[in-house]
Amino acid sequence: MSTARTLVDDRRTLVGVLGALVAVIALLLFVDLPGSDLVTVGALERALQAATPIALAAIGGLYAEKSGVFNIGLEGFMIFGALVGAAVAWLLAGGDGITQAHLWAAFVAVALVSGVLATLFAVLLIRYEANQIVAGLAVWFIGLGFGPFAATVLWGGVSSPSLPNIDAVSVPVLAEIPVLGRLFFDASPLVLLTIVVAVAAWVVLFRTRYGYWVQAAGENPEALDTAGVDVNRVRYATVIFSGVMAGLGGAVLSIGIGSGFTGTGVTMVDGRGWIAIVAYLFGNYNPLGTYGASLLFGAMDMLQIQLQTIGISLPGSITGLFPYVAVLVVLVGVGYTRVPSAVGESYDTEE
Amino acid sequence: MSDAATGVRSLADRIADHMLDASVLERVVIALVATALALLIGAVIVAASGYDAVEFVSSLVYGAVGNASNLAFMLRQSSMLILTGVAVAVAFRAGVFNIGVQGQFVVGGFAATLGILFAAPLLPNSSISAVPLMALAALLALAAGGAYGALPGMMKVYAGANEVITTIMLNFIASGVVYFLLDAYLRPEGAAAPNTEQFPDYVGLPGLVFESPSFSILGLGVALLTVAVVYLVMDRTGFGYDLVTSGYQEPAAKYSGVDPKRMIVRTMTISGMIAGLAGALFAIMILGYYSDPNTFPTFGFDAIAVSLLAANNPLGVIPAGLLFGGLDAGGQYIGFTLDVPSELVDGVIGLIVLFVAAPELFRAAGRYTSLGGDRE
Repeated sequence: MSTARTLVDDRRTLVGVLGALVAVIALLLFVDLPGSDLVTVGALERALQAATPIALAAIGGLYAEKSGVFNIGLEGFMIFGALVGAAVAWLLAGGDGITQAHLWAAFVAVALVSGVLATLFAVLLIRYEANQIVAGLAVWFIGLGFGPFAATVLWGGVSSPSLPNIDAVSVPVLAEIPVLGRLFFDASPLVLLTIVVAVAAWVVLFRTRYGYWVQAAGENPEALDTAGVDVNRVRYATVIFSGVMAGLGGAVLSIGIGSGFTGTGVTMVDGRGWIAIVAYLFGNYNPLGTYGASLLFGAMDMLQIQLQTIGISLPGSITGLFPYVAVLVVLVGVGYTRVPSAVGESYDTEE
Repeated sequence: MSDAATGVRSLADRIADHMLDASVLERVVIALVATALALLIGAVIVAASGYDAVEFVSSLVYGAVGNASNLAFMLRQSSMLILTGVAVAVAFRAGVFNIGVQGQFVVGGFAATLGILFAAPLLPNSSISAVPLMALAALLALAAGGAYGALPGMMKVYAGANEVITTIMLNFIASGVVYFLLDAYLRPEGAAAPNTEQFPDYVGLPGLVFESPSFSILGLGVALLTVAVVYLVMDRTGFGYDLVTSGYQEPAAKYSGVDPKRMIVRTMTISGMIAGLAGALFAIMILGYYSDPNTFPTFGFDAIAVSLLAANNPLGVIPAGLLFGGLDAGGQYIGFTLDVPSELVDGVIGLIVLFVAAPELFRAAGRYTSLGGDRE
């Protein structure tokens, strides 16, 4: 619980996550494959894009859990975000001719709507002490139901028509840097923004007073209460934040890097909210480690394309399972992570 | 025994009974209010989307029980939901969140299918083979579902992996792998859809009461029998007692010599076995072949709602399963008669789960309106 221990934990996590990334890349390089074709700049670009929605949701979920609330509803909030993003962009433009301004406005709308939904969810969890696991599952079910329902009302089918997404931005001088330039400065701005968010989340959590409040709300709420900080207020803030972040992650899928909302099966979110939870567990509640873990899962998601380019053709039904298998391997391998001690317990002041 | 002691004893019994009744009553009230509230919100959303809300509700009811064929469809869905609901209830009751019933159901149905397809040519091609073939299918389904449930149980116990997440991942993996196997190895030459061959004609359950090709009253019988067995085991045996105490009173269970780790794996195995059996029933009674699991109804997820509405009580799963079977049948009916997307009902089910998760909400509402205030 002490700062020293946290720092040691942090370092171990970072080493662990980075080690895993290097191990995967090394494995791919040396397993008798033309490995240089497997890890290309294009592959990294796709992995960074695939990591973006996972990382956003994961950082939100991390804050909620750090403060003592297990937001298992990330997947559901992502579905709502994906739907609202596509719907608002489509409605603003009146159907056709969606511009970049419409898309960015849709992102703002997603943040607002997700914030409202997450507030309702937070009231149920914190004020009415709902079972966090069951209520979180309920958010997923509600998303699975009302997402495709709303899509059908709007577009006559469970999926939207094909929509444009956020353009890549080329930063004049920086884009010239080899490799890094193409990855970060001649790419979707959402990729870079997400990295900035991850760094900011790390600074706030470990270097500001507010971050210490968040940690204390999850580790030792009584002490925080004694210090005169309203524990539940901190928790409301983090749960709402997690809902907004997950919503934005969903919007990244539908209008950020994807091309519209898909509502078939378990929708286009397809388990990424659950993967996000594992990303922050694997990252041991460290936003930077969490980003690294998201990148690992993103790379798994994109492995199919890479395998195809080097001539290994596995059916999509199998390669599509790589991220889920990776999650299981991570959970079993890393297994126990030190969960904040007050997670899942509602806090009542003694007054 | 002295009169005073008997008096105290019976008083204590009566108080205990009363408390039990109050909490059962409260749960029933919460379940009913949650369902009504969720339906109300559903109707408001229907109205806001430009449909006729009254027609929505009346069609929902008609779709469930309006005529014999609707009723048969509802009972068919209810049978599946009762069976999968009991699978969930066993685990939740023991404090293990098995969200993987859908995957165990898919794997169980697949094992049953393999048994039927591979054993049928070895047996005489007549109805004499029906019973042994279906018994074999059921056994394989129990084994496969049980094994697929035991896996996340062991991951939880030996590696500390959160079962909520592992079971959800295993759901995705089950559907993907079964689809791959069907598509690659079991699809007949030249067939367009990823379906297996049809089972022999004699494999299936006779309709008996209802003239439905996909529902037999025997299917409902299997579900109710399973409920009865689970209820008796959990309520009347030492094993069932250990199961429930290890979920809620881990220290107490440990003290009485129960190994909570082993109980978790056993719980998940039993839960998976029941889910696997549901898969066999689905393959035999409803499909008559096996198909892409990604297109299957999500009984395993709706079962979570069924179990929660029943407060994870095996007997309560029966009315909850009937209710959700009705909602499901009604939802599909409005889907093709009113053009109201049937996903709406999935959303309503989600709302019911959300409300059931927050009983405090209703207690607070009860205090506020001074209804049921006497319970405070």
